[in-house]
Parts: sequence; C-alpha cells; structure tokens
Amino acid sequence: MSDTQPQPPEDDDVLAAEYVLGLAEGDALETARDRTRHDAGFASRVAGWQERFVAMTDGIDPVNPPRKLRRALMAQVFPKQRLPLMQRLWVWQGISFAALALAAYLAVPLLRPAPTVATVDVYATQMTSDAFDLTVLAVVDARGDVALRRLSGDIPAGRVLELWAILPEQEPVSLGVLPQTETARIRLPDNIAQNITSVTLAISDEPEGGAPQGTPTGDIRAVGAISEL
Amino acid sequence: MTDREEIESLIARVALKDRTAFEALYDRVSAKLFGVCLRVLNKRAAAEDAMQDTFVKIWNNADRYRANGLSPMTWLITIARNTAIDRLRARRKGHQDVDTPGLELIAPGPSPEQAAVAASEAARLTDCLDALEENRGAAVRGAYLDGKTYAELAETFEVPLNTMRTWLRRGLQALRACMQA
Repeated sequence: MSDTQPQPPEDDDVLAAEYVLGLAEGDALETARDRTRHDAGFASRVAGWQERFVAMTDGIDPVNPPRKLRRALMAQVFPKQRLPLMQRLWVWQGISFAALALAAYLAVPLLRPAPTVATVDVYATQMTSDAFDLTVLAVVDARGDVALRRLSGDIPAGRVLELWAILPEQEPVSLGVLPQTETARIRLPDNIAQNITSVTLAISDEPEGGAPQGTPTGDIRAVGAISEL
Repeated sequence: MTDREEIESLIARVALKDRTAFEALYDRVSAKLFGVCLRVLNKRAAAEDAMQDTFVKIWNNADRYRANGLSPMTWLITIARNTAIDRLRARRKGHQDVDTPGLELIAPGPSPEQAAVAASEAARLTDCLDALEENRGAAVRGAYLDGKTYAELAETFEVPLNTMRTWLRRGLQALRACMQA
C-alpha cells in the first residue's frame, strides 16, 4: 500500500463516514459517489453519518448575515419579475444569453422600416414551456409594437393560439388570437406598453375565435417574462 | 407545527418554486448557516459567497430533499458546510470538489425510524469524539469543520499518511460503537 494508491476501507460504514467528512479520495471517492446514487443501503449509511456529524455544528452560534447578502441572493435567484400565476404554472424559463442574441438578430428585419431601431430601447422574451414544444420569440419596441416569431411548435388542430399579457397582481389581458403564420405583429395597449418591463407574455390554446370569457381556458403553451435587450 | 415540520413545509414549497417560501426559509435559517460558513471559512467575504452558493443550491435542489430522509436542518447545514469546505479547498490549492452528498441521495435514504436513531445518536457525538483515543476526535473535527484532507491531517499530527488513515478509520469504528452503545 503506497500513499498514492490509498486502500479503500473494507468497512462500508467507514467508507460512508470518510465520504461525508470529505476524506475519501481517488477510486474510493468515485465508488462512494456512485454507490450513494445507486445503492440504497449505502446511501442510508451516508445519510446516517450526515445526521451524526452535523452535531459538530451544534455549538456554532448563529450570525445574522448582512442585508446586502439577501438582496444579492434574491436578485440572482429571481432575476426578473416573478408572477404568482407563473409560479403556479411552474413553467418559468430564464432567458439565456443565446436566446437574447438570437432575438436581437431576428428583431432587425421585423422592426424595419423603423429608422430609429438602433437607438430605441428594445424589450424581448422567448416564450417556452417544459410541457409543450411551442417556442415564440417576442420583441417589443418603445412604440409598443410586439413582433412575434414562432420558432417551433404547431398549432393544435381545431384550436387557435391566443396571446396574453400579464402584469403583476392582475388578471391576464388578451392581446388577441395569433394568425397561423410564423410571424405576427401586434399593437400593445397603452397600459401594457407603459409597464413593459413588468410584463409577462403567455400563449394559451383556445377554441376558434379565442377565449370566450376573456380569460385563458386552455393550456398555457408558452410563457416568458419581458426583459430589456 | 414543530420547527422541523415548519422548515420541511417551507422546503416543500421551495421545491414548487414558491418565492415567498424561499424568502421565509432564508429568514428562518440563514443565521445558522452563516455561522457555519463563517466557522469553516473564517472570512466574512468568503462566507458570504458560500452562503449565496448554498441558497442557490437549496433553490435548485429542494425537490430532492424529501427523498433523502435527512432532517431538514441536517440537509441545509450539510449543503452549507460542503459548499464552504469546497471554497476553502479551492482557496488552499487548485480546485477540489467536495461532493454535496445531501444533494445526490437519489437512492432512498434511511427510513424515518433509522433517521430518528441516527439523530438520537448524534446527541452523543460530542462525548464520543472526546472519548476517542489520542487526538482522533480532533482529527474528525478537523476534517468536518476545517476541510482537512488525510495528507493535511497527517502533517498536523506528524504521522505518516497511511498511519493517519488507519488511525482515523479505527477512530470512526470506535465512534460508531460509542454512539450506538
């Protein structure tokens, strides 16, 4: 037995303890990691040692972290406005940098011929969901026009897609039924356009002609929160 | 509700991406977790970074909590401790990942009965560590709270590396026997 080839312990319980302490190295670490994932008996030993060793922290006094830490954490975990409706639907999708770059690229032809496109603020989102394959890019300019481009997903047979704008603590507002085409352009109501950074866009499927009562009745097929580009 | 039930309920709501529950959980446990991060890292700035990482992990992995059978504070403190140790080791020399086993327990953990047994044994941990021969208790504490590796422990206690391993493994067996007694 040499120092570079540590012999793993023969005793599973000791290996589990070493793993929890952070002492397992090399092959023993790989083995412990793998068995924790796949071997219920071993995972149980690991959990048992975690439960025992945590008593070493009993004597550690609580220390209030600075307020700025809470603010920084919440800003990191919730980078944009989070809406109760979206929380319930649990379909939040962050906007990746790549998606924003794509939005910027695709927005240019959509926004022509507006000559001031380079200087106005542009807001965008990519609407998606985990449950459906619909992906729609939405780009809003400062004049309150939203340009939409369907990147993937089909319209279910016999149904239409309806676009909704949601402001915090408010009921969704219908922006109308989307045409069958891949691209569309819709004028936003003033109160939506004026609060554009708080808006979440969502698309539901609805019976022909749109939601009869003015609130979504079908599945929410894609959702995305607007952010500044 | 007991403290445990309240914290479990908050974790369950965090698993459903409930922001209010996440903020409530933070307000409830952040002081204890910050204490642990400070104890391990001994520097405020580093402890604050570790805290932020810890809570991002809690947010992202809360849905895995229920399966692992740990008490909620054990799960939370284990994530904080492992995150802090990870940073400590990265600071000492090159990056070295400490697993966060609490996050990886995909296999079912102990039954509630087993977990209760482990928790009641934990009450004896301090006495049992102190009862270990020579400095083995200090070595276990050095690994858990200071992130010491076998090589670093061997240096601290001025023994050859393999002696250190054998010595600590016997210590762990004695510890288990003591806690189960």
